[in-house]
Amino acid sequence: MKPSTQRTTTAPREIALTMSRNAVSRFLPLLGEGILLKGPGGETVEAFLVKTAGVSPAYLKERVQTVFLNGKALDDFSTARVADEATLALSAAMPGLAGAVLRRGGIYAPMRRQISHEAQSQNAGGGEIYITLKLFNMVARELGPEFLKRGVLVPGVRLKDFMERQGRWAWEGCLSVKIDGRPAEVGPAAELIANSHWIRLSVHASG
Amino acid sequence: MDKILRINMGADGGPKAEAEPVGSYAGMGGRALTSAIVSKEVPPTCHPLSEDNKLVIAPGLLSGSAAAMSGRISVGCKSPLTGGIKEANSGGQPSQMIGRLGYAAIVLEGKPKDDTLYRIYINKDKVEIKADKSLKMLGNYAVAEKMKAEYGDKVGCISIGPAGEMKMAAASVAFTDMEFRPTRHAGRGGVGAVMGSKGVKVIVVDDAGCSVRSPKDADRFKEANKAFVAGLRKHAVTGQGLPTYGTNVLTNVINEAGAYPTKNFMWGRFDGCSKISGETQAETENTRGGEGSATHGCHRGCVIRCSGTYYDKDGHYLTKQPEYETVWAHGGNCGIDDLDTIAMLDRLDDDYGLDTIEMGATIGVAMEAGIAKFGDAQAAISLVKEVGKGSPLGRILGNGAAVTGRVFGVERVPVVKGQSMPAYDPRGVQGIGVTYATTTQGADHTAGYAVTANILGVGGSVNPLKPEGQIELSRNLQIATAAIDSTGMCLFIAFAILDQPDTFQALLDLLGSFNGQKLTGDDVVGLGKSILTMERDFNRRAGFTKEMDRLPDYFKKEKLPPHDVTFMVKDSDLDQVFNW
Ligand code: SF4
Repeated sequence: MKPSTQRTTTAPREIALTMSRNAVSRFLPLLGEGILLKGPGGETVEAFLVKTAGVSPAYLKERVQTVFLNGKALDDFSTARVADEATLALSAAMPGLAGAVLRRGGIYAPMRRQISHEAQSQNAGGGEIYITLKLFNMVARELGPEFLKRGVLVPGVRLKDFMERQGRWAWEGCLSVKIDGRPAEVGPAAELIANSHWIRLSVHASG
Repeated sequence: MDKILRINMGADGGPKAEAEPVGSYAGMGGRALTSAIVSKEVPPTCHPLSEDNKLVIAPGLLSGSAAAMSGRISVGCKSPLTGGIKEANSGGQPSQMIGRLGYAAIVLEGKPKDDTLYRIYINKDKVEIKADKSLKMLGNYAVAEKMKAEYGDKVGCISIGPAGEMKMAAASVAFTDMEFRPTRHAGRGGVGAVMGSKGVKVIVVDDAGCSVRSPKDADRFKEANKAFVAGLRKHAVTGQGLPTYGTNVLTNVINEAGAYPTKNFMWGRFDGCSKISGETQAETENTRGGEGSATHGCHRGCVIRCSGTYYDKDGHYLTKQPEYETVWAHGGNCGIDDLDTIAMLDRLDDDYGLDTIEMGATIGVAMEAGIAKFGDAQAAISLVKEVGKGSPLGRILGNGAAVTGRVFGVERVPVVKGQSMPAYDPRGVQGIGVTYATTTQGADHTAGYAVTANILGVGGSVNPLKPEGQIELSRNLQIATAAIDSTGMCLFIAFAILDQPDTFQALLDLLGSFNGQKLTGDDVVGLGKSILTMERDFNRRAGFTKEMDRLPDYFKKEKLPPHDVTFMVKDSDLDQVFNW
């Protein structure tokens, strides 16, 4: 499912979880499935990530070795622009030839010419846009806790599926729950997830 | 490591072992040695399961020493799957032990006159070969348990499961890990079938009383090892990505690139990918087994530790952390998005002694043939169990994707030279397709791990903008891979030595100081080239032509969604890969 194609018409319900410190990382794979971000159109990938997602330029340059824009490997994120409904995915350095090939501007980049992102000549347009952002591997580990603390917008159906897959560990380590800012129990939170189109989920580490 | 242990399983009066000086094979290890022995001593046109074939088990050049990452082992023979030369390599404990016992290789030759099954025990004083009916058709796990009960847990085992005994072309050779589990496999090309044809169920190696191999230049060696380890630890891939997530870290990334072969190479993206990604796998392992479960070495001396331990829903050990290729083969390639099912399939493969890539690709072909539905996890498990039982259907599947495709009339069979492609669609990443098509081994991904080509400067500098760049890159990668495979070093060191010239220099110093020589990048290139030349020559004499250095036609015709690309490298370009 592409969440960005299904705009949030009403304000999403908010669920805030406080988890024991070592349980927060269980939510990181959720960031790999994609979160919805709203921001200004017409920006470069780099500017969008810095302004809207709060990622530092130094981090992007040093740690983010592979970037996909709409599934195509990007060599220069300071020139490519994001348009409405784009999907951006960020990854740290990857092993193997595939990892080398997919690296930004690496010497093996020609090996994936057919799936490289080509610079767009047309303007990506201004106004407000929605994009899907995916954070993979070490990038999720390093940026993810901050994203989770600030809150991420995810489709309810995906969050429900994600929680169900955790089995008996789903709510383990959960110290407190708030729904729309008010203290609540796990049961109603699970119910809300199951019945909501969109959820703004925030996960805080205790202590 | 100045001797070779030759065990003639067909000798008059029963199997005989004899150690001989390493002779003209001196200075070779790992793949260099397996390929040299096979190309020189095995008649290229022989039947792979005949007495004329040889199974060569060779630790790397530095195995048994204190060098980090040096415990990989090569298994070579004429392959029952491809009909060409084969080198499959593995982790596990036995490599270091064989090195310490002083053997550059163990060579199984000849063939018993009947179907007696043997076990071999090797220590510093003797080689004992005993017939042992009780091992018949046991899984690798049961064999390891039996050997542990008899010899204790300080030995190492090299064994085959029922698949090897049934001489299936997808059969692997298992090596025990640090926990005495048979989880490390020389998987590709049916090497287990060749061991089965020799009537050998298990080789127990015991290095009690042997000391660590010592370098000629101890001070230089120690320094180099320190610098090498520091280089691996500081690099983002070898110091963070691989230890944290293992190779399955690639799932999300390859899927996002649209190059993740899905449902028998029909699509380049799998909807259920995040459910089986390395990120999800690592969190699952750490949650079920405790923090750190997703980080583990396949042998002592590994500092990267890309492996881990997979626990079932109740927190019980199920298998080692399945690798990216396994998760793909049994997962996305079959439309299965459940990690527990994939782990169970990995466990069954390890126990029956099967190559996980070949089995996953084969089940994908069987699913396309309508034998089971894509996504049917229980059916996939049942099919692998058929292989373990050796039912008629199981025997077909156990002989790999090419045979299965032929039996069930499937056109879309993703193999080169009879061997299944691994987890990267060559239409998405075309340079990998060049390697699949032209390696001496049949479709093989490991050639891609040695991304050292640019610093080695093999064959001149590459102009990435020219179309022939992909050919040159693939050539260089294959040369570099062959060389690393011969050192016994794990191929995952490649990233650190690619990016960090000082780490590459540390590796050269490590190898050079061990033998008291000075080694240069050119020497490494020379080694890689000479191995490939030997292997190509063997294949040519076995009847291989350039027309076999091709991908199946459908990769040139069928567009791969989502990017709708076909494989576009010209045949005439593929023929240039080995022109150096
Ligand atoms: S990095 Fe992985 S494959 Fe290589 S030696 Fe270590 S555990 Fe084994």
